Amino acid sequence: MTEQHDDRHVVTTTLEFPYRRSLGPVIGGFARALAEERIVGVRTQAGDVLVPPTEHDPRTGESVRDGFVDVGPAGEVQSWTWVSEPTERHPIRRPFAFALIRLDGADTALVHAVDAEAIEVMRTGLRVVPMWRAERTGRITDIECFVPAGLEG
Amino acid sequence: MSARPVAVIGVGQTHHKKARADVSMIGLVREAAERALADAGCDWADIDAVVLGKAPDAFEGVMQPELFLADALGGAGKPMLRVHTAGSVGGSTFIYGSHLVNAGIHERVLTVAWEKQSEGNAQWGLAGGRSGGIGAGGAFAPFIRKYIRDTDAPEYIGWMVAVKDRQNALKNPYAHLKIADISIEKVKESEMLWDPLRFLESCPSSDGACAMVVGSEAAAAAAPNPPAWVLGTAVRTELSTFPGRDATRPQAGVDCAHALYDSVGITNPREQIDVAELYVPFSWYEPMWLEGHDIAGPGEGWRMVDDGATEIEGSFPVNPSGGVLSSNPIGASGMLRMAEAALQVRGLAGEHQVEGAHVSLGQAYGGNAQYFSMAIFGSTQDAVR
Repeated sequence: MTEQHDDRHVVTTTLEFPYRRSLGPVIGGFARALAEERIVGVRTQAGDVLVPPTEHDPRTGESVRDGFVDVGPAGEVQSWTWVSEPTERHPIRRPFAFALIRLDGADTALVHAVDAEAIEVMRTGLRVVPMWRAERTGRITDIECFVPAGLEG
Repeated sequence: MSARPVAVIGVGQTHHKKARADVSMIGLVREAAERALADAGCDWADIDAVVLGKAPDAFEGVMQPELFLADALGGAGKPMLRVHTAGSVGGSTFIYGSHLVNAGIHERVLTVAWEKQSEGNAQWGLAGGRSGGIGAGGAFAPFIRKYIRDTDAPEYIGWMVAVKDRQNALKNPYAHLKIADISIEKVKESEMLWDPLRFLESCPSSDGACAMVVGSEAAAAAAPNPPAWVLGTAVRTELSTFPGRDATRPQAGVDCAHALYDSVGITNPREQIDVAELYVPFSWYEPMWLEGHDIAGPGEGWRMVDDGATEIEGSFPVNPSGGVLSSNPIGASGMLRMAEAALQVRGLAGEHQVEGAHVSLGQAYGGNAQYFSMAIFGSTQDAVR
């Protein structure tokens, strides 16, 4: 057997199936706010602020209160993991952290990328701020990443 | 049933539509669940366990949706179970929930079934991700042709069922299809999809959910609205294909029906049952299940249709809600049969209420006409006479 291949002997087919997702009023409202460079949460009947918002209190199943609450934009890293060898599908091409970030005014944490430049910078309790994309479409990627507070300039 | 009495104390369903783009999957299931809880006079905290059903995960591309829906259904810290028996799943989900009460394990169980067909492609999902799927109608059309050949049924029987169910749907505020000018002519002239099934003899593709709260005798006594007593349940399954299989009258369907009738003392279903909600996704399945569950004798099912017996004012009304032919959120379709059958004996079916309904039958089937779930509901615990 030789290792030679002839393109005429290979057919490449890509199967794909595009699913749709309707966001509903709550995640939909969160997405619309992102396009306006705002981050919003919702308040549970018990008074906790959930970010990202859900339609219900996950502990009880009760519906959340009507209306959104503005939070952040700065927040605090609650937990993190370092990605030392990013692939082309990661949000940042150089080493970075995925972090759980509790935004100011929120009682729950949001997962996002933190561009900290070096692992030594990362720590629980680190203050971070969002870097917004110039063109926003109402997706979580409208926030390009978070960076340590003071380094956003 | 020999164990504790079980009642349906709450029923809820969404408005079914081609695309419920106004709600998320979470919003869809909660819409049905909140209506069922309100009907039962309950809050999330009053529920002991949650049972969820839907058709294949590939339909929406969410694998194990019960995991992400658990807390949306108030399931945090409670037993939660997923049921999957293809198209019959809504029926078997309800039945499983009723057994949890029946066996004395729980006081109140929330059962929920749903489908959001607009977020995926059911035909692709049914084909297991392969191209060239023939769809459910393509699978059932040969069985229907065999029924027509065996019983010498006239072609217009299918058209009659299609018209009857769509007329009933006009009385159901939750139904998806509302075809005000439905007529035999219109069905007959609609496009042929899978011979002999025409476009208007086929179910739609719907987004929707259904929820039922089942409870003990004590839970029923505490509920604000009248209960439907779950007098009997039965589930049977057979392989999709095997030599000698009678796909028109599957043995599992015959066995399921007789196990159910025997358990509640029904010896003459046509006389002792006041109204039935049968899973009829394609028109001809109405006469086929009337015979397949021994409600009618061989070749008598289509004659019942022809005589008008299955109309809402007839002697044996079938699908006063408009049935699967009018709303088909697949996972929920089987539970809707149970929910509508329960509403009938509670006297809460509204404009499509059958006068004097005290005993009702809910039935669902799925797969290659191989999964069956059936239940008998009564307005009282001794309603079967």
